[in-house]
Amino acid sequence: MTLRELVARVTASRGMRRARLERFGAIVQLAWPRALVFVDRAMARRVVRGLKGEPWNDSESALGEHVLSAPLEAHLQLTNRCGAGCAGCYTGASPAGAPNEWGLAEWKRALDVLGAAGVFHVALGGGESTTLPWLGELAAHARLRGIVPNLTTSGLEGLARLLAIADRFGQINVSLDGLGATYAAVRGFDGFARADAAIRALRAVKREVGINVVVTRRNFDELAAIFAYARERRLSEVELLRFKPSGRGARAYDELRCTDAQHRAFLPTILAAARRHRVRVKVDCSYTPMLAHHQPDRALLAELAVYGCTGGDFLVGAKADGRLTACSFMGSPEGRPRVTDLAAYWRAPDAFGAFRRWRDAREPCASCAYHDLCRGGCKVASAHVARDPAAPDPECPRVVDHVRAIEARGSVPHERARRHLPTLR
Amino acid sequence: MKVRRGRILAIKWGMNPNSSSLGVDVTFLLVGATALAVVTPIVGAWLRWRRNKPDVHDAA
Repeated sequence: MTLRELVARVTASRGMRRARLERFGAIVQLAWPRALVFVDRAMARRVVRGLKGEPWNDSESALGEHVLSAPLEAHLQLTNRCGAGCAGCYTGASPAGAPNEWGLAEWKRALDVLGAAGVFHVALGGGESTTLPWLGELAAHARLRGIVPNLTTSGLEGLARLLAIADRFGQINVSLDGLGATYAAVRGFDGFARADAAIRALRAVKREVGINVVVTRRNFDELAAIFAYARERRLSEVELLRFKPSGRGARAYDELRCTDAQHRAFLPTILAAARRHRVRVKVDCSYTPMLAHHQPDRALLAELAVYGCTGGDFLVGAKADGRLTACSFMGSPEGRPRVTDLAAYWRAPDAFGAFRRWRDAREPCASCAYHDLCRGGCKVASAHVARDPAAPDPECPRVVDHVRAIEARGSVPHERARRHLPTLR
Repeated sequence: MKVRRGRILAIKWGMNPNSSSLGVDVTFLLVGATALAVVTPIVGAWLRWRRNKPDVHDAA
């Protein structure tokens, strides 16, 4: 970035900050550098203008001790229509889409509700949301409500429309699960050339373009090459996603999920690739057990806001028909609230069920030093494998080791324990 | 009486375009806590320099 670009960015960031009070203090959104900054009450008094008297009516607590006053971000599945037909699609998207999909008016109302609650970001996805003729209008509406819209696309459809409205989004990532033939091996069809063309076209009009990579056993060995590709295309980030057993992904789970050995090698592999190719790397929440496996500085993880499952707390999802979910992979909770019911449901007793009861942990999570960050790992994997979202993450190396130790002692877990401690290696 | 300066508890860098899960930037793990210890006070100074107005007033 040149000095002139830096000055332009700082100037443009004026007036684009928001703050939200929390029990621990406040969250301040910075437009540049792009960040959410969590501060304690003493600092909130110094940096948040307009605070009078004592705005908090309860005692100060630590970050993570209580559910936030509202999500940081909402993941909106604007449509479940998509013609790509990826083998592992977590929403089971199809050309027909989902029944009763919401339209522009409903999603605008949802953004009104999310904006009023203090949500900072929305991640718009599908299906393939770039096929929606009103996507640009919705993104503009999010901005009006003080929310930054971000977008994931396959790059396979709707590119011309997206290029015209790319500046309305904070960050756009294109799903790219492999290079060349690997793309087809993971997704089930050859779409690499089109996705690559979309990436190049988007990067020509926007700096904040990256790729989302679902990491599977078929593309794990290619991660370094994917980082090299991102560098070559001058992309702003590589975001790595764990394969989830959801939608069509439930059927493909045993075939595509990473092996235990790959999970244990995940962190050193991606950091080496990021260092070598000088590309920023992000990982999704479900990878926290694989990070904790290497026992990184716990305070550093906390300072980077590295959390495991924060569904129903830091984030919420909404299905194409507006149903509110704790995370995009899960069904709607009891009562089937809509995202427009967020304010009322957020404070309801036992809202989001197991997602907020993560403190009721079993072994080996209960004694794990990282549990208050990890929160038990991915509940989608637990729900699929153990039929219980509250069970320890079956792909967590610590869980795998725990079960191995039980087996090595010759004590076979009884049926209930076996269900809650499945072994995926 | 000395006024407590307060502190930054965490910084979540970047924006998350992924509509299926919450992404977090772990690039800092490459350089460790020292680099973050340098960056955090700069962000704090930046925050104090550009105070802003809250848009949500109810504390959790």
